[in-house]
Amino acid sequence: MSLLKVSGIEKGFGSVSVLRGIDMTLGPGEVIGLVGDNGAGKSTLMKIITGMYQADSGSITLEGDNLLDLTPGARRDRGVEMIYQDLALAKQQDVASNIFLGREPTRRVLGIPLVDRRKMKRDAQIMVDQLGARLPDLTRPVGLFSGGQQQSVAIARALTFDPKIVIMDEPTAALAVREVQSVLGLIHQLKSRGIGVILISHRLNDVLAVTDRIVVLRQGRAVANFVTNDTKMPDIVSAIVGGGDIAAAAAHEAKG
Amino acid sequence: MTREHRERLFGIWTRLQKKANEQLHVRLESVVVLIGLVLIMAGLSPYFWSVSNFMNILLATSTIGVLAIAATFVLSSGGLDLSIGSIVGLSGVVGASVAVNLGMSTPVAVLATIGSGALAGLINGWIITRGFVPAFIVTLGMLGVARGLALVISDGRVIYGLPDWMLFLGQGRPYGIPMPVLILVSVAFIMHIVLAYTRYGRHTLAIGDNENAARTAGINVGLHRLSLYVLSGGLAGLAGLLFATRINSGDPTAGITYELTAITAAIIGGTNLFGGRGSILGTMIGALIMGVLQNGLNLLAVQSYYQQMAIGGVLVLAVFIDQFQHRQEEARV
Amino acid sequence: MFKKSKYRAAGVMVLMSVMFTLPTRADEYGILMKTLANPYWGAMADGVKAGAESAGVDYYIQAVESDQAAESQLNVCNTMLERRPVAMITAAINSTNLLPCLKSATERGIKVVDLDVNLDPAILASAGIEITFSIGSDNVLAGAQGAQYLVSRLGSDATGPVLVIEGLSGNVTGEKRAAGFVNKLAELAPGLEVVASLPGDWDRGKAANITNDIMMRNPDLVGIFAANDGMALGAVESVFAAGKGGEVIIIGVDGNSDAIKSINRGRLTASVAQLPYLVGRKAIEKVKTAVTFGSAEGKFVVPTLVLTKDLIDTGTEPLLEFVK
Repeated sequence: MSLLKVSGIEKGFGSVSVLRGIDMTLGPGEVIGLVGDNGAGKSTLMKIITGMYQADSGSITLEGDNLLDLTPGARRDRGVEMIYQDLALAKQQDVASNIFLGREPTRRVLGIPLVDRRKMKRDAQIMVDQLGARLPDLTRPVGLFSGGQQQSVAIARALTFDPKIVIMDEPTAALAVREVQSVLGLIHQLKSRGIGVILISHRLNDVLAVTDRIVVLRQGRAVANFVTNDTKMPDIVSAIVGGGDIAAAAAHEAKG
Repeated sequence: MTREHRERLFGIWTRLQKKANEQLHVRLESVVVLIGLVLIMAGLSPYFWSVSNFMNILLATSTIGVLAIAATFVLSSGGLDLSIGSIVGLSGVVGASVAVNLGMSTPVAVLATIGSGALAGLINGWIITRGFVPAFIVTLGMLGVARGLALVISDGRVIYGLPDWMLFLGQGRPYGIPMPVLILVSVAFIMHIVLAYTRYGRHTLAIGDNENAARTAGINVGLHRLSLYVLSGGLAGLAGLLFATRINSGDPTAGITYELTAITAAIIGGTNLFGGRGSILGTMIGALIMGVLQNGLNLLAVQSYYQQMAIGGVLVLAVFIDQFQHRQEEARV
Repeated sequence: MFKKSKYRAAGVMVLMSVMFTLPTRADEYGILMKTLANPYWGAMADGVKAGAESAGVDYYIQAVESDQAAESQLNVCNTMLERRPVAMITAAINSTNLLPCLKSATERGIKVVDLDVNLDPAILASAGIEITFSIGSDNVLAGAQGAQYLVSRLGSDATGPVLVIEGLSGNVTGEKRAAGFVNKLAELAPGLEVVASLPGDWDRGKAANITNDIMMRNPDLVGIFAANDGMALGAVESVFAAGKGGEVIIIGVDGNSDAIKSINRGRLTASVAQLPYLVGRKAIEKVKTAVTFGSAEGKFVVPTLVLTKDLIDTGTEPLLEFVK
C-alpha cells in the first residue's frame, strides 16, 4: 500500500521543460534515495510535492487523497514535511519559535488569541530531548548554534507534528563524520516509526547505506528505479551520467 | 575590582538582559541609556526635572512615536516604508479638508485621515507584492506622490480651523495628560502585544528573518506583507491626525523628513534594519531617547544643528553596541 | 528595616518636591525664530542680540531646522516655556502652528510678541490669545514702494509689459507684497501692464524659468518685480543670459547681502530692503518697555528702504546702517 503516489508529473518554466513525466511511489516506512546530477529536476520535484511550485500536469496523492489542490500549509497539516538544504530556519528566533513557525499554539486572553509561549517552550524541549539533540540554550537565537545543532532544530521542526513523509534535501552534505552517522541513525528511526522518507543526496555511499530503493533522475525523467540491496555503485553512476566514462566516474564515486 | 567581582557583575547583567529580553521584549542597554540620559539632563538643567517638562517630552514625541511603531513593523518584516512622512502631510490635509471644506462631522474626518493613509499603504503594498518592485523604490515614489497630492489638495496653503471635537484629539488634556500622549501610549501598548505575542507579530518577524522559512512554513508572505504596508500607512494617517490637531490645521508640509526620524527611533530601540528583530517597547525607548536629548538640549539653548549631530551619533553608537554584543554572544555559545 | 524605609520615604519626598517646584531665575526673554539658515532671520537674530545687550536683558534664542518644520517649532516653543521666560518673542512658521504654546504662555502671564507679523489677529482672538504687540515690516507697503520706484524710473505715462513673480503659493507675505505692487502700479502708471503674475515658490531656479518663458512671450518686457531677492536674482540671470541686461528693470524684496552685491555690480536694479536687524533690535527694546511699564501699543511697523546703487554709493541714508 503506497503512502505517496506521484504520477506523470510534468513541469516547465517558460520554454524549458524540467520534469517530463515522473512516476514514483513511496510506502510507509520506506526510504527512497533520489539521486541525479544538478539540473536533473530533483529539487523541482520536491517543491511540487511540498506545494512551492505548481505542476503543469500529473497527480500526486497521499494515502489516496489528492495533494495538488492543497496549499503548502495544508499539505504540512496532512503530514508532508521537508528539511531543506539550507535548513530554512529563522536565525534570530529561538528554537521553539522555529519549530512551531506557522502553527504556533495559542491561548485566549480576554478573547484575543495570543501565542502560548510556555506551551511552545515545553513541547520544544520534549521534542529536542526525544531526538537526543544537545542544544545549548533553548532561548537563544538559533543563528548562534553550530551547523549540526541547527540541523537538529530543523529536524525537530519536521518531526514535531507527526509527519507521514519526510523529505530530506542533502542532510549530510556539510556535516562532520559523527553527525552524519547520527542523521543516518535518525533515518532508521523514522523508518521504524512507519514514516516514509525521501533522501536527496549526492553522497552515494550514504544513499546505499540507508535506503530501500533508489530513483535516478536524469534530464527530467526517472531513468532508473533500483532496489538498493541489489544495486552497486557503478549501476547508479551510469544511470546518473548516462554514458561517457562510467568506469572513472564510478571509481571516483566509490571513494566517497 | 577582582576578577571574581567582575564575573559576578557580568553574570547579573546577563541575567537581567535575558529577563528584559524574554519578558518585556526590550534590550536592557536601551533602558539603561535612557535612564542615564535622563539623569545627565536633570543634572545639567534645573528645568528638566518637572512633571510639566516630562509631559512636554512625551507630547513632543507623540507624532514620531506613532510613526516609529509603523516603521518597527515594516522593518521587522524586512521591508521599508519611506513614504510615512509624506502620508502624515497628505492625511492631515485630507482630514482637514473633509472637516473644514466639506463640513463633515469629526468621526468622518478622523476616518478619512486614517483611511487615506491606509489607502496609500495599500497602494504601496500592492505594487511591492504584486508588481515585485523593491519597497525602497515604491515607497520613495509614494513619498513624492503623496507630498505632491497634499500640496495639490490644499493648494499649497494650510487649511485652518478644525472642529472642536477633532481638536480635542490633539489639544485636550483629560486629567492633565495631553491626548496625543494617551493615544500614543494606548497604540504602543496594543501594538507591542501584537508584535510580541500574536501569531501575526511572530510571522512578521519570521518573514523578515528568513522569508523562505516563512513561506515553507505555510505563511502567505505576499498577503502578510501587503497587510503590513496597509498598517504602516494607517498608522502614518494616525500620526497625521495628531500633527494636524496639535497645530489646528492641515499642513501640506507636515512630516517632511519624519520617516527618517521614525526609522532612527526604531533602530536605536533595537529593531534590526534588515528584519527579523523588533519590539515596540524598544522603539518607544528609542523615541524617548531622542526626545529627551532634544528636549534637554533645547532647555540648555543648544542650537538644533547640534541636536541633529547628537542624534546621528546616538544612532551609530546604538548599532555599534548592538553589533559588539552580538559578536560577544557568538563567542560565548 | 524601619530605618531603611524612612530614608526611602524621605528620598521620594525630596524628589517629588523638586519635581513640583519651579526654580527661580532672573528675568529671561525667550526668542523663537524660524530657521537661521536664511540670512534674513540670521540678521534678525543679530539685531535681537544687539538689542538685548544694549537693554541689558538675558535671553535665549532657539530656531528649527527649516522654515517648514511646523510641529518641531511647536515642540521647541513648549520646551522654551519651561524656562519660565518673562516674554516670548516668536516668528511663527505659519499663522496657526504655535497657537497651543502661545495660549499656554498667555495663561501663565508671559508676554507674547509676534515677530515679523506672522500671526492673524482674527485667529488669535478666537483662540483667546493675547499678544502684547506685533512688529515687522509692512509687506503691502514694501510692494508699493517697489511700484513707486519702477514708476520713478520709467515715468508715469510709460507703457509696456511687466512681470510679477510671486512667493510660495498661499503664503501671506508673498501675497501682500505682490498685491501691494500691483495695486500701486495700476494707480501710478496705468500704462504699465502686468502681463503675468506667477508663483516662484521663493526659488531662484523657478523664477529664472518663469522669466525665460515670459520673455519669450513678451520680448519687450520693461520690468520685473519679484516677491523676494532670491527669486529676483534668478530673474536677473535669465535677463542677462538673454542679452537684455540693462533693458529690464528688476526689483526684489528683502535687501539681503546677495542682493546688495548684485546691485553693486549693476545687475539687480533695486531691492526693497526689509530691515530685519532693526526689527530684531526694536522688538527687544519694546518688550523691555512692555515688561517694565506693563503695556505697549498693538503694532509696530519698521520702515522698508528701496536700495539702489546710487543710494548705496552715496551712503548718506541713515537707515543704511541697519542693512546687514
